[in-house]
Amino acid sequence: MNEASLIGLLVATVSFGALLYLAALGELLAEKAGVLNLGVEGMMAIGAVTAFIAGVELENPWAALVVAMISGAALASVHGFFTVALGAEQVVSGLSLTILGIGLAAYLGKDYVGLPPGAKLEPVQWGGLSDLPWVGPIFFNQAPLVYLALVMGVAVSLVLSNTRLGLALRAAGESASSTDSAGHSVLGLRLSAVAAGGALAGASGAYLTLSLTPQWAEGLTAGRGWIAVALVIFGAWRPGRVAWGALLFGGTLALKTRLQTFGVDFSPIILSMLPYLLTLAILLAISVRSRKRPSPSPTALGLAYRREER
Amino acid sequence: MTQTPSPTDESQLAVQLSEVWKTFPGVVANAGVELNVRPRTIHALLGENGAGKSTLMNILAGVYRPDRGELKLHGRAHQFRNPADALSAGIGMVHQEFRLIPSFSVAENVVLGSAPSVIKTRQIEARVAAMADKFGLRVDPAQPLWQLSMGERQKVEILKVLWRDAQVLILDEPTTVLTPDEVHELGEILRRMADDGRCIIFISHKLHEVSGICDEATVLRLGKTVASSLDMATTDSTELARLMVGASPTTPDRPAAATPGVALLELKELSARGDRGIDAFSDVSFQINSGEIVGIAGVAGNGQRELADVIAGLRPSTRGSLIMNDADMTTASPRQRFLSGLCYIPEDRLGVGLAPRLSITDNAILRVYRQQRRGPFIVAEKALSYCKGIIERFGVRSGDVDGPIAALSGGNLQRLLVGRELDSQPSVVVAAQPTRGLDVQGVKAIQDLLLERRNAGAAVLMISEDLDELLTLTDRLLVMEGGNIRGEFDPRTASRQEVGLAMLADTTAISQP
Amino acid sequence: MKRPRLHLREAPLPGGQPLAFAIGLTIALFVGTLLLLGAGHDPVRIYSRMFEASLGSPDAWAVTLNRAVPLGLAGLAVAVAGSMGLWNIGAEGQIMAGAIAASWVARIGGDWPGLVLIVAMLLAALGGGGLLAVGPAIARARLGVNEIITTLMLNEVAIRLAQWLIHGPWKDPGAHNFPLAPMLPDQARLPTLFSRAHCGLLIAVAVIVISSLAVRYTAWGYELRIAGSSEATARYSGISLSRKILTVLVISGGIAGLAGGVELTGTADRLTESISNGFGFAGIIVAALALMRPSGVAVVALLFGAVQIGGQSIQTLGVSSSVSTILQAFVLFGAIGAGVFSRYRILLDGEARAVPEEVNQ
Repeated sequence: MNEASLIGLLVATVSFGALLYLAALGELLAEKAGVLNLGVEGMMAIGAVTAFIAGVELENPWAALVVAMISGAALASVHGFFTVALGAEQVVSGLSLTILGIGLAAYLGKDYVGLPPGAKLEPVQWGGLSDLPWVGPIFFNQAPLVYLALVMGVAVSLVLSNTRLGLALRAAGESASSTDSAGHSVLGLRLSAVAAGGALAGASGAYLTLSLTPQWAEGLTAGRGWIAVALVIFGAWRPGRVAWGALLFGGTLALKTRLQTFGVDFSPIILSMLPYLLTLAILLAISVRSRKRPSPSPTALGLAYRREER
Repeated sequence: MTQTPSPTDESQLAVQLSEVWKTFPGVVANAGVELNVRPRTIHALLGENGAGKSTLMNILAGVYRPDRGELKLHGRAHQFRNPADALSAGIGMVHQEFRLIPSFSVAENVVLGSAPSVIKTRQIEARVAAMADKFGLRVDPAQPLWQLSMGERQKVEILKVLWRDAQVLILDEPTTVLTPDEVHELGEILRRMADDGRCIIFISHKLHEVSGICDEATVLRLGKTVASSLDMATTDSTELARLMVGASPTTPDRPAAATPGVALLELKELSARGDRGIDAFSDVSFQINSGEIVGIAGVAGNGQRELADVIAGLRPSTRGSLIMNDADMTTASPRQRFLSGLCYIPEDRLGVGLAPRLSITDNAILRVYRQQRRGPFIVAEKALSYCKGIIERFGVRSGDVDGPIAALSGGNLQRLLVGRELDSQPSVVVAAQPTRGLDVQGVKAIQDLLLERRNAGAAVLMISEDLDELLTLTDRLLVMEGGNIRGEFDPRTASRQEVGLAMLADTTAISQP
Repeated sequence: MKRPRLHLREAPLPGGQPLAFAIGLTIALFVGTLLLLGAGHDPVRIYSRMFEASLGSPDAWAVTLNRAVPLGLAGLAVAVAGSMGLWNIGAEGQIMAGAIAASWVARIGGDWPGLVLIVAMLLAALGGGGLLAVGPAIARARLGVNEIITTLMLNEVAIRLAQWLIHGPWKDPGAHNFPLAPMLPDQARLPTLFSRAHCGLLIAVAVIVISSLAVRYTAWGYELRIAGSSEATARYSGISLSRKILTVLVISGGIAGLAGGVELTGTADRLTESISNGFGFAGIIVAALALMRPSGVAVVALLFGAVQIGGQSIQTLGVSSSVSTILQAFVLFGAIGAGVFSRYRILLDGEARAVPEEVNQ
């Protein structure tokens, strides 16, 4: 194993970590408000394809990113409408959303498969910082979406813990009736959290087609939406912990393709089970511990709310 | 008996409710109620369950809209469309069921709904702490709520209302979750708030607490005001009890007494905890003999529900023992108890006694399906004929027996449930609130069934909040209050007032300061 | 202000669910028409082709039935858990686990007679799927861990386990270094009934019938339904909840595993990474549309299979396969929405239907 390949690994770890983090943050927002959205994979696919199409058509990566986020939010709102407004089962609606998103993405993108990208988000140069050994390439020569992920992480964390909106959002995920009686609109809070979550999943998808693998193909998201769902649990619904989890899981994604380069005789496939197994372990640990204290999982997660059902 | 001290000047009253009417389908909850509360006072709103107290206060807090009536605050008329309206007019209510979020800190719970757009945790906590200190509400604003006792949680609820700057605080049965010491402390806190210029409406049915804490009292009975703004300093609790429970109605026909036989159910110093982890009742001892209906009177929330659950085996006891038909059943499973002759008519009919989403037949066979098996199957014809038998014998009016049970009316639900339970010829019957919410015919039908069972030699325990029912139906009457049996009465000779006093007064706490 | 609100009906509208499905199909056809017109196709031609290819001939029926088999078994797995109010999201992985277990039997029993081998493979599949559900079942029954997430996570683990086997220990040395598992022995193939329809149909129908009967008519199923309707009622009547949770989730996993075994012996030549092919997730939707009733699963699975096969068939007409995926999604959302309305009525009155607390405690 040489220095260059190790740096390559760490660069990829941060890139993949940011990719997962964006989607996981979105899921975290929705879950914090009490809505489980298993449609992350579909929203990422929609974000990826719309970003790519917008990139080709508009030739502006930032416009493409915005398009992707709006598309993600729009798709998520389908889930929001059915689960929050109509009170449909969140599991069923979320899985249907995955199917819808993947199908729509394939339909929209069928004329764009294999095309060269019309716009790319180029790595950001930080002057001298980018030239530093090790630190430079790993942290200061990444795509803008890596920094966006970081900013969003801090923002989500601050909003959740330090604003009136965040307090209300968390309350909606803990006890809808208490939130309602405190004068907040549970419907509004949950719908906006789901839509915002979709926007972040869309951004995550856009990261794929605008910089990581600047191309469109069906199945591009490759199950990363499920990792995002796992990450939220792994990080115990805390933006900070989810960030570390994202780096860890991103590391396994990065390492997967590099094991042979490093001459490690270990199956990359077994390695890729790791995020899920770790998440299961964390889940068990949480439940053993919650006998003494409340679980970090939002109490009202998955429960529909209707006022007269007191 | 209505003695209204002439309200000196309307504008001096902090709250004035007059001629308030509120009807719910089938029930007149408020029939021309009036309530006058002077500023800087603690005003007790007294009445038995169903007297209309909570409805009236929910009207004042904007939860319900009255059908008729006038609401004035400091002489100005108001009409509230929702709780937010009431809050902005300065009225805050602390409900019996706390609306708090366990994973949030105390401060977060307090400010939820009226927080500044940017929350600086330290600053908010300091403000909450300052407010708490001012009124002697000792809680740590940074502490997560789940670590707090029920008494401390109530303080958080009070802080929530104060944070919204409510000038009128309504406390719905605030003392049910408190220990005697905490009740005393609450009294002091409320006094400080009154001295600060607010007024407090204190809903209760515990007379000794009211007389220790409140300045004035209004008494409701059957949706009407029977006494308005009594001065607590000059009214004794016997008088209040008389006002609350009223004079005995004409003596109804008593069923002939049966001859009691051997003891079938015996509780020996039985204790158990409630859902909140504190003792729901302790050292309860009594026995019920064959051919006897024993009633338990008491205001809701004094341990009766838990007692019934423990006898049925749905809640573990912490001390003491339970003997049924000469066998120790203290740790027996619900099914073992059923097999040795116990049946239980739970307070929650739909949800405990009956499974809501299943059919009438499925619910009818809950106790007997094991006997209707052929191989692994339940024989459908047996189930159906059993169900039809129950329906016929117990007068359940039902449509399609394969239709969902939830489609039945309350009275028919209860006939089915009681019928199913009594059909096994149980030797011990525990019935919790068996007639609540039923119409006259339904009540009569259920009472007759219980009597019939008694006459057949069963020991019947009947828990009810309807004192008249207990006085006419039972052979012996126990009064439960604060998780203890406060006395035993002979319903043939006992007066309503006597029993009422035992239900309402905590004799041990009266002697406390 | 008058805002529409949903009010729970005492009982669902009779016939609400078939109606919901029909509404879903109608919405899907409408949206599909738009999509097809947008892509310049003739919707009538496409739809008639879809019908022909899925239900228009015995051969078409055979293909559709072969698809309905795994969908039905997966749906059944979810519905059995669902009749107790549990969510088995792990059918996808359990199908894989079943297929892996069956492949393992085929590896060691390559020279066994056909009937013995097939029966052993299917039993192993049942066990494999059940085994994958044991963890979530224990965690839920003993620790109260939400089964949705645990079963979901194990999907990914099972699929990677299959990948690992195919790329590693079970790689066919004769496959020129391609990551392929070896072909199954010939006698391990399920015999066909007609055209290409294989015997899996009989197995699926049998299992669905047995499960429906078990849930609907046995004491065991009765207890299951009681617990699914109200845990408090179950405790009241002395039914052990944790034992029920355990057995139901493991049986559910076993049925999904059986789907993997049938798929392997029925339509696949060998263990592949894509043998579960989304059937597990589709099964959740099949079960939800069947309102978690095992008896309804067969019908929904057949219709859903027809939609899938019809959707695939139009690719030869130059229609992207994504159109059929989107159509599926619209059937689902249409049916979910219509299902909600069959359970709720819409009220337009302003004030909430308040019930006085003192009367209705």
